[in-house]
Amino acid sequence: MSAVPILSTNNLNLWYHEKHALQSVSMKIPKNKVTALIGPSGCGKSTLLRCFNRLNDLIDHVKITGEITLDDQDIHAPGTDVVTLRKKIGMVFQKPNPFPKSIWENVAYGPKVHGIKDKGELDRIVEESLRHAALWDEVKDRLNDSALGLSGGQQQRLCIARTLAVEPEVILMDEPCSALDPIATAKIENLIEMLKEDYTVIIVTHNMQQAARVSDYTGFMYLGKLIECGKTVQIFEHPTEELTENYITGRFG
Amino acid sequence: MAEKFHTELKTVKKDTVTMALLGRSMLRDAVDALIRQDKELAASVVAKKEQIHEMEVKLEEHCYQLIALNQPMAKDMRVIACTLKMITASMRIGRYGKVIANIVKDISDKPHISHMMSIPHMGELVIDMIDDAIKAYDTDSIGLIADFSARDDTIDALRHSIFREGITHMMEDPKTITRCTHYIMVARYLERCADHACKIAENVHYMNTGERIEIH
Repeated sequence: MSAVPILSTNNLNLWYHEKHALQSVSMKIPKNKVTALIGPSGCGKSTLLRCFNRLNDLIDHVKITGEITLDDQDIHAPGTDVVTLRKKIGMVFQKPNPFPKSIWENVAYGPKVHGIKDKGELDRIVEESLRHAALWDEVKDRLNDSALGLSGGQQQRLCIARTLAVEPEVILMDEPCSALDPIATAKIENLIEMLKEDYTVIIVTHNMQQAARVSDYTGFMYLGKLIECGKTVQIFEHPTEELTENYITGRFG
Repeated sequence: MAEKFHTELKTVKKDTVTMALLGRSMLRDAVDALIRQDKELAASVVAKKEQIHEMEVKLEEHCYQLIALNQPMAKDMRVIACTLKMITASMRIGRYGKVIANIVKDISDKPHISHMMSIPHMGELVIDMIDDAIKAYDTDSIGLIADFSARDDTIDALRHSIFREGITHMMEDPKTITRCTHYIMVARYLERCADHACKIAENVHYMNTGERIEIH
């Protein structure tokens, strides 16, 4: 990949107990681009995604070797503050998971945790984040309503707004549209296109058409290995590896 | 679903080969009709124009449906892209066959001039190129199209030679103008058919390797 990398992995290995779930993964994630990770279920793409903000630290019996750097800093270096790391690398999950609080509280929660108390400043952050997440116009008159009353697509955009509120550098998305209908999916995809102006996005998706539509770079994973990684156009038009070819043409997976 | 799609893709490819062979046979028969001054054979070529047109429409429609319903990628996408080009090239080759067949009735009343110069030989070479292009598409054998650039140069040289010889005959005897003009036009049509064979070859190469090449 020729673009400037913001995140890199070098010979990354991960074991869940005896299972060698990631095997010597080395890749560079270009800044201000959308990178998609594709591959059949169980290939390690979500595991890799969760390595980037050290979510796997929360799981017992996980062993990691190799290196992950964010802005050339090793994220496993002693003294790394995981809370700060997760502020820099936000995450959006498969199923929308808003807090059972108001829309305003959901977005203001992160900045509050990070020490912002001023109501005016929090109002500004909430509005800006909701605008960035293309949700402001739909919720501006009911910010105090429960977030659980929003539709699935709106809830997912609220979760994206919640992530944006703490000004991350990278946004990880794990199957962000799999629980949404096609219209809500299209809105999220449009949003991803806008987000890359200010953020780096890494998206895990089962939907190859979605990967082809939204990403600039694509990595194909299989049985814990990164088989091929390159520009999305190249991967979907003429992949180098036969395994990639067979997967994206539906011959297996 | 992928299995159903791949079965359909194979069917489209098979039907495209059938159409390509029809276009090829129209050209082959037209050149034979011209050489033998066989008006009946020429008429049978002209009569096939509806058939090849119907195949073109049906196959294109099938390709568009496969794209719309399956969003093909990688080689599957390249096969469909190549197939669409193949359909167009086959249609054009068939149509040139029809145009040559239409000439037969205009120049069959008098004997040929100078055995039609190099037209029979040129016809053989062009048909060979079309055969190899179709076979390469059908069997993914890009080795068959490796020397197309040199073969196309030969065709260009023959067209030029027929042009010069035709002009010489016309200058010597103006009564030959009609026939020689037709010969020059036929040479031009055959050269265009060789160009279509080259286009097919370029697309077959892309279909198999993902790389674009240009055959001059």
